[in-house]
Formats: sequence, structure tokens, C-alpha cells
Amino acid sequence: MTAPSSPEAPWPVRTVARKIADWIGRLGEVWVEGQVAQLSRRGGAATVFLTLRDPAADMSVPVTCHRDVADRPGLELTEGARVIVRARPDYYIARGSFSLRATEIRAVGLGELLARIERIRRLLAAEGLFDAARKRPLPFAPAVVGLITGRDSAAERDVLVTARRRWPAVRFAMHNCAVQGPTAAASVMEGLRRLDGDPEVEVIVIARGGGSVEDLLPFSDEGLVRAIAASRTPVVTAVGHETDTTLVDHVADVRAATPTDAAHRIVPEIGEQRRLVDGLRARARHLVAVRVEQQERWLESVRSRPVLASPDRMLHGREDDVLGLRTRARRTLVHRVEGAERDLDHARARVAALSPAATLERGYAVVQRADGSLVRDPAEVADDERLSVRVAGGRLPVRVERSGTGTGEDDQP
Amino acid sequence: MSSAESTEPTTTYEQAREELADVVRRLEAGGLTLEESLALWERGEELARLCQHWLDRARERLAAAGPEGQPE
Repeated sequence: MTAPSSPEAPWPVRTVARKIADWIGRLGEVWVEGQVAQLSRRGGAATVFLTLRDPAADMSVPVTCHRDVADRPGLELTEGARVIVRARPDYYIARGSFSLRATEIRAVGLGELLARIERIRRLLAAEGLFDAARKRPLPFAPAVVGLITGRDSAAERDVLVTARRRWPAVRFAMHNCAVQGPTAAASVMEGLRRLDGDPEVEVIVIARGGGSVEDLLPFSDEGLVRAIAASRTPVVTAVGHETDTTLVDHVADVRAATPTDAAHRIVPEIGEQRRLVDGLRARARHLVAVRVEQQERWLESVRSRPVLASPDRMLHGREDDVLGLRTRARRTLVHRVEGAERDLDHARARVAALSPAATLERGYAVVQRADGSLVRDPAEVADDERLSVRVAGGRLPVRVERSGTGTGEDDQP
Repeated sequence: MSSAESTEPTTTYEQAREELADVVRRLEAGGLTLEESLALWERGEELARLCQHWLDRARERLAAAGPEGQPE
């Protein structure tokens, strides 16, 4: 036992340190829960330092542990994690620092479960099972919907009632399954297999109401997740409340927040669709009618173009041409006929002028011999010769009968 | 229209319309022989009838779909 300290006899640091260390060492092991505020792993150092904070009060305590404790497989030790630590208060005598020396760290309660789920999630995500590219679109207004739920559950009722109200024609292929406990995952998988094999089923809904993380555990079963990924029919999940996320939600083609929401996703609202269709019909009809009217106006305008509307116009110019040519031809011809007639008149006048007829008219006569030759001299004709005397009135046959007195003097003009 | 339906023209409205516009353009441009003009005009009439036929058919089909916004 050390003597009490006094200004005259102070204790050396080592004595004080040892006394504190002894006292703290007697405190013994304790389970403590808190949140990891800081986590410090220094390279390859064997000791890991963390700060454990009380989530409800502004207080914290340093924790040290061996690296093996912090890195235990299955423990996702990160800053912000809620943990339960088994520790012994410890005073590091060389530095005068206090810490809780942890021998075991556990994720808080479900933390462990969630950590396991998280590991599966990462594994499947790495395989690409949750990729957005894998998500299939849901059919519009499916005729038959496969529904996997607990018998007579609220989830079942929510889906059926809501879907039938929205789209009365929808039919359901039911599969009632265990929705919690050790057989649940296999039960859901069996339903999935059956409904996926039914060619009538166009979409499958897996619905379950809210529950504890343990209750919802089957819906994060790796086998079930893989079965959903392998399903040929699109799958909609509605498991738990909106805040609960199970792995089936990740792999589903559509994740609905609640069973009612799932009903909204799988079938359209009939009234809304009717209005939509009516609106589209009216628009389509209007557009087509406008189009037809435009074309009718266009056709009307083309048909009223002179080249089409009055095709006789294309004859006009040509008729005029023909008429003009005909007129010219006729005029030319008339001209020539008239010229010919004038020529004929002239010729007639000349013929008339040259004709002996006029001379005969005046009383002269032409005497011709039988051969038609003209008698110009009395000596040319013989006695008793027959001659022809031509006067204006006609011919007169005569015979030469010469008297003694005839000298031919009388014939002198 | 049953007889017309059984012998639907093979020329579409667009084809007829395009050719009709071309016919009118050529007629308006002139410089054709009378025989060519007449043949073109006859073709134009035929095409216009064809266009009219298609538009009439469109109208009938619109009417057959029932009054506006009403399911038949």
C-alpha cells in the first residue's frame, strides 16, 4: 500500500498510472451498444481503433480491438453501423489513454441478417441479375394475372379488389403459398414455376403484406431471386411496406410499393383508358378528316385549272389556225378564179373584135370555094363553080354565072 | 361501291396525285401536238377520277366509323 500523496511526497506518474490501471482493470467485461462513429485501420497494424458513439446522446468512447475481431467474416463494420461490443475497459498505461478493449463485435440484432442479405445482393448484382436492362415491360391489360399470396391475406384481397375495380375483365390464376417461415421460399418458388408454365398467365404478382425483417426473410432467398430472374413471365413484387426492401424487389421486373400499388401497375384503369381512347379517336378522326378535306380542295383546284376544266380551249387556237388557213385558201382560190374569168372576158372581147361576124353584120359577105378557101379575085373562080356566100344571117350556096359586063369593078371597096 | 371495292385501283392516291400534277404542269407548259395534248388531258381526267375515288372512299370509311367520338 502506497502512502497518501502530499506536496512533500508526490507520487510518480508510474504509481498513478498503475493505480488507475488497477482500478479500471477491476471493472470487468461489459456488453455495450452504440454506433461506429469513426473507424481507423492503420496499414497492417494489429489493432483497429474505432469510436463508439451513443446515438441518443452526445457521448462517445474509444474502442480498440484486434484486427481479427473487426474483420470477422460476416461482420460489415463500417462507420455508421450499429454494433454490440463485448469489451473490457482498458487503460493503456504507456500513454495514459482509456479505451474499451473489444473481444467481440456483432452487428446489432438484424444487422447480421441484413448483412447476409447484403452479401447475397452484392453477389447477384455482380452477376447482373438486377440490371435495368433485364427488366421486361409489363403487358398492357393482361387477360390472366398470376397471383402468389398467402391464403385470404390482406395482400390477396388488395390486389384482387383493386385490379378488378380498375379492369373488370381481368382474370386471376391463384397460387396460395406460405408467406413466412422456413417453407415460404420454396412455396413461392413452386407457385412461380406453376404460373410461369401456364401459357395464359401474362404477368405474375408476388404480394405479401408488411412484416418484420425476419418475416420477410424468405423474400430475400437466393434461390427465389434466381427463380424470378429465370421466369419467362414478367414478375411484379409487392412485399412488405414501401420502406422494406427485399431482394425479390431488386430482381422483379416491376417493384410495387404495396399490393394495391401492384394492382395499379398490372392493369390500366378502364375509365381512364376509355377517355384516352376516345380522345385519341377524336384526334385521329379530326386529323384524317382535315387531311381528306385538304386533298379535296387540292383536287378541286387542279380540276378547275383551265387545262383540265375546259379542254376545248386546247382546240381554240388550233381551230382558229384551221379557220384562218381555210379562209386564206378560199380567198386565194376565189382570187384566181376571178382572174381567170377576167382573162376569159378579155380573150372573148379580143376574139369578138377579130371576128368577121361584125363585118358581115354590116352587110359584107365572104365567098368561099368548096374547099373553104376565100375568094379574093373573080379570076380565081371558074364559071359554073359552086361557091358558098356567107353573110351575117348564114350561108348561101351560089353558082358562078358570069355576064359580059362583069369587070370586077363593082367589087372594089 | 361493292363493284368498285372488288376492283380497287392499284394506283395509290399519292401516285395518282403526283402524276396528275405532272400532267397539268405539262399541259400548262404547252408545246405539245394536239394528239399529245388530248392524250394527256384524257390521262389527267382519269387520274382526277382516281383521286376523287380515293377521297370518296376515305369519306365513306370515315362515315362508316360512326359519328364523331361515338363507338359504333
